[in-house]
Amino acid sequence: MIIHAQELRKTFTTRNRKGATTVEAVRGVDLDVERGQIFGVLGPNGAGKTTTIRILATLIAPDAGTAVVAGHDLREEPAAVRARLGYVSQAGGVEDTTTARAQVVMAARIHGVPDPKGAAADVLARFDLSEVADRPGRTLSGGQKRRVSIALGLVHGPPLLFLDEPTTGLDPQNRANLWDRIRELRDAGTSVLLSTHYLDEADALCDRLVIVDHGRVVAEGTPGELKREVSGDVVTLRLDETARAAETLKPYARETRVDGDALRVYVDDGEHTLPVLLRALEEQGIGLSSIALDRSTLDDVFLAKTGRSLRDAGAAA
Amino acid sequence: MIRHVLLFTGYELKKTFSNPIWPLFSILQPVLYLLMFAPLLKSLTPGGTTAEALRMFTPASMMMIAVFGSLFSGFGLIADLRNGSLERHAVSPAWRPALVLGRVARDMATLVVQAVLVLVVAVLMGVRIGVAELLLLLLLMAATGLFASSLSQGLALTVRDENGMSQTLNLFMLPVMLLAGLFIPISFAPGWMQAVAPVNPLYHAVEAGRALFAGRLSDSSIPISFAVFIALAALTTMWSMRSLRRIAG
Repeated sequence: MIIHAQELRKTFTTRNRKGATTVEAVRGVDLDVERGQIFGVLGPNGAGKTTTIRILATLIAPDAGTAVVAGHDLREEPAAVRARLGYVSQAGGVEDTTTARAQVVMAARIHGVPDPKGAAADVLARFDLSEVADRPGRTLSGGQKRRVSIALGLVHGPPLLFLDEPTTGLDPQNRANLWDRIRELRDAGTSVLLSTHYLDEADALCDRLVIVDHGRVVAEGTPGELKREVSGDVVTLRLDETARAAETLKPYARETRVDGDALRVYVDDGEHTLPVLLRALEEQGIGLSSIALDRSTLDDVFLAKTGRSLRDAGAAA
Repeated sequence: MIRHVLLFTGYELKKTFSNPIWPLFSILQPVLYLLMFAPLLKSLTPGGTTAEALRMFTPASMMMIAVFGSLFSGFGLIADLRNGSLERHAVSPAWRPALVLGRVARDMATLVVQAVLVLVVAVLMGVRIGVAELLLLLLLMAATGLFASSLSQGLALTVRDENGMSQTLNLFMLPVMLLAGLFIPISFAPGWMQAVAPVNPLYHAVEAGRALFAGRLSDSSIPISFAVFIALAALTTMWSMRSLRRIAG
């Protein structure tokens, strides 16, 4: 177990002219991350993902709870935790005016790496950055900058890497490329804790994940387990009378859910249930404008656990 | 601990001098003051010569770079707060105060280089100063710079916003500058200003600087200014180190 966290809590108080407002950012989070896993923390913006990662990275002291990170207690030995950690924040930590190489060499020196220049050259080459390494940070593209920030977190060869929203703002190619890099890291034995609000990212990349909402863990498991828990398939219908349709289809479904102007019907075997659903709607004379059949996604898990779609939750936060 | 401070000092210095245009610009200002403002002061000085005016104005311009050069260095820290590199260093084995102290040390090193350059210009223009006086002057500038730089780092970590920071600095700079008698000695000022001036720490530094250039080593302004600035520098350094806790518990 490379991270074992129990009952982490953090409340922020902000004061302004209107008085103090308190935000319970993290409300009792438990996390167990096995060595050699890519472990995801999935949730909408404002769910407490970043706060949880910042607590585990020793940047914020939790109000309550305990955690052992990379073999050391967070409260008792923060320095030992920091020495064994690679931390890549959402901002990335790449300076504008200095070259990528100078920054990576400096990171290696701080960590007391025996051959800082050699280690920096190695990690930069590993992330295909050798050619741009001597350019100042501000001249790098978004994808290059992202890779520099990961190189900065890896130059000292930590057993555990934190990635806070690593692919936010990247185009699809760069995202796919970064996913491959992260898998390579795991294959080389590095444990990775990453936060994301992208469903496909959590699904494709993570060996195991927790879904968080409003500072709490609402579900935990492998992506496969979580999706099986909800149901095999989901039929999404757009129609005139959503409420009456939901009543009509209830007997055929494990669950029905109204999501905005769409009706989502969860069934075990979509291919064979679809004709039955259509017939039932026709008998009731309910007009249908579109229909789609999909495998259930992590969004359906989120919807089942919180009553909201992750996309809506993200937009509201 | 010391290793980390040196590491960060070296890193920051390399950053500053990788583009020597900017530190050059910041020394240009006091040099321009010497060249273009001192002659204007001729008629105000007792002897009425440019050399006399320079002797009054050089110490003021030295203190000006010590305070105002370093006061702006916190902007770099705000940039690093924004791009996340400060946070990144906070999650490393680095001794955390070194993140701030490295910057302060860089400012003091830059300051010494600038001071020497300004002095060379002043000497070329006919100003003379003794060796003991020179060393004391550099020490006083170092204390002043330490105060101004750590004040700036603390302010940056507290305000965390470029606009707020520049407004705050502007608010304080003008009265501090005028009440220090930087351009025109306070002895020319009306009674109430003369009464208020001693509250301004910079006033003591400028007075001590003038005493040093005049060779009055026993002048009381020298120990007063050292005491004031060492105390202030200690306070602001502590404050800037504590302000770091706001970004990293």
